[in-house]
Order: sequence, then C-alpha cells, then structure tokens
Amino acid sequence: MDATAWDFPAWPVARLVARVVVGGVWVVAGALKLSDPAANVRSVRAYQLLPEAVVPTVGHALPALEIVVGGALLLGLLTRVTATVSALMLAAFVIGIASAWARGLSIECGCFGGGGSPAANAAAKYPWDIARDVGLLLLSVWLVWRPRSALSLDRRLLPSEA
Amino acid sequence: MAKKKSTATRRAESQAASARAAAIRKEQERKERRRQTLVVTAVGVVVLAIIVLVVTRLSSSKDTTGATGAAPKGVVAGYAVPSGPSSAPVKVTVYEDFICPYCGQFEAASRTAFQKDIDAGKVQFQYHVLNFLDGNSTTRYSTRSANALAVVLNSAGPTAAKRFHDLLFENQPQERTAGLTDSQLVDFAVQAGAKKSAVQSGIGDLTFEPWVKKVTDKASKDGVTGTPTVSIGGKTLKYSTTEELVTKVEQAIAKGRS
Repeated sequence: MDATAWDFPAWPVARLVARVVVGGVWVVAGALKLSDPAANVRSVRAYQLLPEAVVPTVGHALPALEIVVGGALLLGLLTRVTATVSALMLAAFVIGIASAWARGLSIECGCFGGGGSPAANAAAKYPWDIARDVGLLLLSVWLVWRPRSALSLDRRLLPSEA
Repeated sequence: MAKKKSTATRRAESQAASARAAAIRKEQERKERRRQTLVVTAVGVVVLAIIVLVVTRLSSSKDTTGATGAAPKGVVAGYAVPSGPSSAPVKVTVYEDFICPYCGQFEAASRTAFQKDIDAGKVQFQYHVLNFLDGNSTTRYSTRSANALAVVLNSAGPTAAKRFHDLLFENQPQERTAGLTDSQLVDFAVQAGAKKSAVQSGIGDLTFEPWVKKVTDKASKDGVTGTPTVSIGGKTLKYSTTEELVTKVEQAIAKGRS
C-alpha cells in the first residue's frame, strides 16, 4: 500500500462510493446472467472474437467472476486485487463492444443477461454501453491506484499504514 | 585517542544510534506489514478463485447446449419448419422468436406478397423458431410457443404448422406480458388444422423443448445475434428497416435463384 500523504479525509468515503457503484453493477450483471448459462455462451459467441473451443468456458465463467469480483468490492475485500480484475474485464468489454461496432455486428451486448431488442436497434446502444463501461473502468483504476476506502474489510484484515 | 569525548559529541552519537535503531525497527515493521499483506492477499485470492470455479462448474452443469431432443416429423434443413415446396429454386431461411416485435412487423409486412410466391412454387421459406427471448415474457412464452409449433408440425404437417405460425404472429402478445396461455395455443393449433387430442399434451408438457434449445443453439453457431434474421443462399441480409428487409427478400425471390 502506498503512502497517502496528500489524501484528503473525504477521499476514503468517495472511494467507498466508487466501490459500491462498481461492485453493485457487477453483482447485478452477474446475478441476472446466472439463470441461463446457454444464453451467456451465445452472447460470448455473438462477438465472434474467441475461438469456439473456449467460448462455452468463458460464457460459464464470466457471471461467476462478475459476482465474486462485485461482492468483494462491495465488502471492500482485497480491493486492489479485485479492482484490478474489474478493470481488466471492463477493458475487455470495451474492446469487444468497440470491435463489434467497427465490424458492423448488431449484438445485444448481453451485459445484463439475455438479449432483448431486435438486431436493428442493438447497434444504436453501443456508444452508451461503451460510455458506461469506460466510466466504471476509470473508477476501478482509481481503486487500484488508491485502494484504501471507508467501511472496508481490508481495514480489518490488512495491516494499517504506520 | 584517550581524549574524553565532549558531552555534546556523546549526545550526538547516542542520538544517531537511537535514530539508527528506530530506522531498523521501522524497516522491520514495514517488512512485517508487507508479509502480512501478502499472506492475507494470497489466502483471499485462493478463496475467491475457488468460489469462481465452483460457480462456473454449477453454471456449466446447468447449460442446456447440446441437449439431446428428437426433431419433429416434417422438419427441413435439420432445424426448420418449411413453407413451400422443397423443389422451389429459392430457399429463404428465417430466424424468428414468437415474442420478438420486429418479427411480428416483418411477418405483417410480408405475409400477402410472400404467400403468393409460396403458392406459385417460387420459394420455400424455412422458419427457424428460437426461444432466446424467454426473458421477455413472464411465462417463457418463447419456449412454449416454439414448442407448440414443433408439436403442430409433428402431428399435423407443414401446412398446418405454417398456418399456426401465421396465427401466432397475427395474435402476437406484447413483450413483458404472460403471452398466450397453453389452452389458447391449443385453440390456435386446432384452428390451424391440428387435432386437439394430438397436440394438447405435447403443448402442455413441452415435448419438443430440448429440440427448441437445439434450434436456438444452432442459430447462435450460424452467427445469428438477433431476430428477425433472414439469410438466402447462406448469405445474411443486412437491413436497417423492416421495409428494406422485405424488399431484399422480394428481389431475391424475383431473381429466382438462391
């Protein structure tokens, strides 16, 4: 953990808010996907980025990873590690959506489970999906850089700064 | 150098010594904190990783992909409900979900024109009916209606199945509602030409649900990412409006080849 010399007292509270926002989105996104594994596999396949051999595994692992990372962020457990995983996943999603956009693919992003609206409408939402993911990515990177926050399990589990 | 050190020198030396000791102590504490952080992090990462693995395994055991299910009698191209003769020069593959509103629009906009071409033997439509929008109704209407279509095809043949398909789109329920009930599905099946006794149990028991899942999975592997998707001769038609899609299909049928 790095020094927090110029850390204002309000920052740990602000980072608590960041944790709750990012963690909350992950938990909701993961929980909505949990009920239909076949749909998750189809969502991953739709991006046409990964070889078919790994598509089912990624489809099954993503919701699990999302829920665990989200839950850990909500609890403030291993914030630096889990925020790193969060940032990496969000970066991957941004790349996935941007490349689908660039290739003219119309995919319901599958971000929150299922796939809803028709092909023609999905592409119109790409900018918003990307904007949301970039916002969450920035919050995650902030937590990687300065992981200490208010009301976190880390405060109990990890040794405090001298 | 037997000379006695001055009081000032001694004080300075002892201060330096205690500063060194403090620095060493601090360094040790820092190392100890680092060790503790590493241990807690390592244990935590292992625990979290195990949870991820367990949930992933649970999820893959619930995956229905590759479910084995017999296809209904009368299917063409492995997964499709046919409309029109198999000898027709143009084959149009349509991927739909009975609750998808744009599929309803596509059907409404194209029904009359396409039916003439079908009756004239110019084209065979091959309907792949999916259940991927199950979340858009409160009763898994996509699965129930697609299963009902398979039941009707199996027991009453393609003509009745096409009529049933058309009836369901003409009476399409709104998204996020319960959709048609099973007994309404049975009524439409009878209206389409099926025997009530032959379809009632199959519609209620979702006899062809595993097959419907197979159709949906195949569509995903064919690169279908939304509905309606229409492909002719293996090429997916690109469109931004329903009219554009209908026009492209009409042009392809008029050309008379796939």
